[in-house]
Amino acid sequence: MAIPGATAGDPPTSCDAVIIGAGVQGLALAFELAERGMTDVVVLDARFPGSGASGRNGELIRSAFASIPWIRLFDRSLRLWHDLSARLDYNVLFVGRGYTVIASTDEEMTSWGEVLSRQAAYGLRTRRVSSDEIAELVRGINTDLAVGGLHQADGGFAHHDAVVWGYARAAARAGVAIHPYTTVLDVLVEGDRARGVVTDRGTISAPIVVNAAGAQSREVAALAGVELPVRRCRLEAMVTESLMPFMDTAISAIGIHSYAHQTSRGEFVGGTELEQPDPSNSLRGTQPLLFDMAHKFSLLIPRLAGVRMVRHWAGLVSQTEDMGPVLGRVPEVEGLFLTCGWLYGFMAAPAAGDQLAETIVTGRESDLIAPFGIERLRAGELVTETSLIHRPDQARAATGDATGE
Amino acid sequence: VSGERQAAEFRRSRTVLCLCHDVTEADIADAVAEGFTDPETIKRYTAAFMGPCQGKWCARLVLDAIARHTGVPADKLRQPTTRPPVVPVRLGALAGGRRELS
Repeated sequence: MAIPGATAGDPPTSCDAVIIGAGVQGLALAFELAERGMTDVVVLDARFPGSGASGRNGELIRSAFASIPWIRLFDRSLRLWHDLSARLDYNVLFVGRGYTVIASTDEEMTSWGEVLSRQAAYGLRTRRVSSDEIAELVRGINTDLAVGGLHQADGGFAHHDAVVWGYARAAARAGVAIHPYTTVLDVLVEGDRARGVVTDRGTISAPIVVNAAGAQSREVAALAGVELPVRRCRLEAMVTESLMPFMDTAISAIGIHSYAHQTSRGEFVGGTELEQPDPSNSLRGTQPLLFDMAHKFSLLIPRLAGVRMVRHWAGLVSQTEDMGPVLGRVPEVEGLFLTCGWLYGFMAAPAAGDQLAETIVTGRESDLIAPFGIERLRAGELVTETSLIHRPDQARAATGDATGE
Repeated sequence: VSGERQAAEFRRSRTVLCLCHDVTEADIADAVAEGFTDPETIKRYTAAFMGPCQGKWCARLVLDAIARHTGVPADKLRQPTTRPPVVPVRLGALAGGRRELS
């Protein structure tokens, strides 16, 4: 069973839709399909629900991005976050007390003038903040590294495990079957149509198959004969012992590739990145990142130098060349859908599930996910988004990944 | 009989297994009753194994409690992976006193 909502019974031999991956993407989609009346849905996971990146991410939530496609999708998500606990009848511990994007140089701050106008035009609750205001939002911050910023009043964070459990319970209550410890061995395609999956616990026929397999999404796509242009990379994060509340807002400092928040228990949780992505299949934390996190966070918030790190972990993502997701239908295989390639998948999950479910049920592709289809990556028509913590991937994503450990 | 049951519940609710996060025997029983049956998911639900001791104090006690409430023998339960650092370390010490960004 593993978590509430997961079933111990055998998978059925047929259903209306099979979702591969019981992470936040797969479960949000299952819940949204059930909300639209499609309840004969099976969600499969090789391990337990939420065992991959959904339980390892930084938990942050914003829609304050720089480009219109990102703003539209993530702002739909932010709206959904504010009501999610009520819709799921489960407290996902969403905290909407703000998200502050910190500029570490004057040049960086200047470059955001246009971004702020675009966000205002779209109706986002973002505003420019001075270094003094940031010092109030994050008490004790080193203003030499926080010369200004952009504050989104209704951004924030949520508890990633609670979100997985909330979606799983609500989906299961509506009739969705969640099968943990079930490995997909093959995706069945006949001609140009998806027909189902073969698992280590039997074959399931279904006219709709969704790849929500996170770090394994490239391998799952290959089972259907589809080459997914993503590369598996490792991200790392850490948590400290609890300390007195000193910041309500979630933060990211783009220039130094850092992001963090303080949990309701008082722990400081955050991650940093080096200049290059880290192609890997390992879940071990590395020494360079351990030192990088300690270094950057104790410079940015000097009080943290005296606070002890309790735990350092890693997670795996499949990232695309433009860091955006691969979302929507696969044109050459009717009935095969993707919600993969996520780097910001936790914060986007409510909207991705909602919009992909709408697309599947109505047969009309949602405007919000259309910019993120697989065709853009095949054609090299990338979506440029400049407010990401992650560095642009210099190597072409489709070159495959390192063997890892 | 109900008095004895109350006394047993009282003992379970006061039997602290994880000293870092005050996880009690009753918390483990509740987690299993809710449907959390794997040490990994009970870890995420209760925060046992994730405090400053990283399971060094509590792992045996928590795994035994999970075994009692799930009926799965403790030696069949996998203890969640221990993450670095082995003991909590101040960020300033890990940063090595560096004052500059690069």
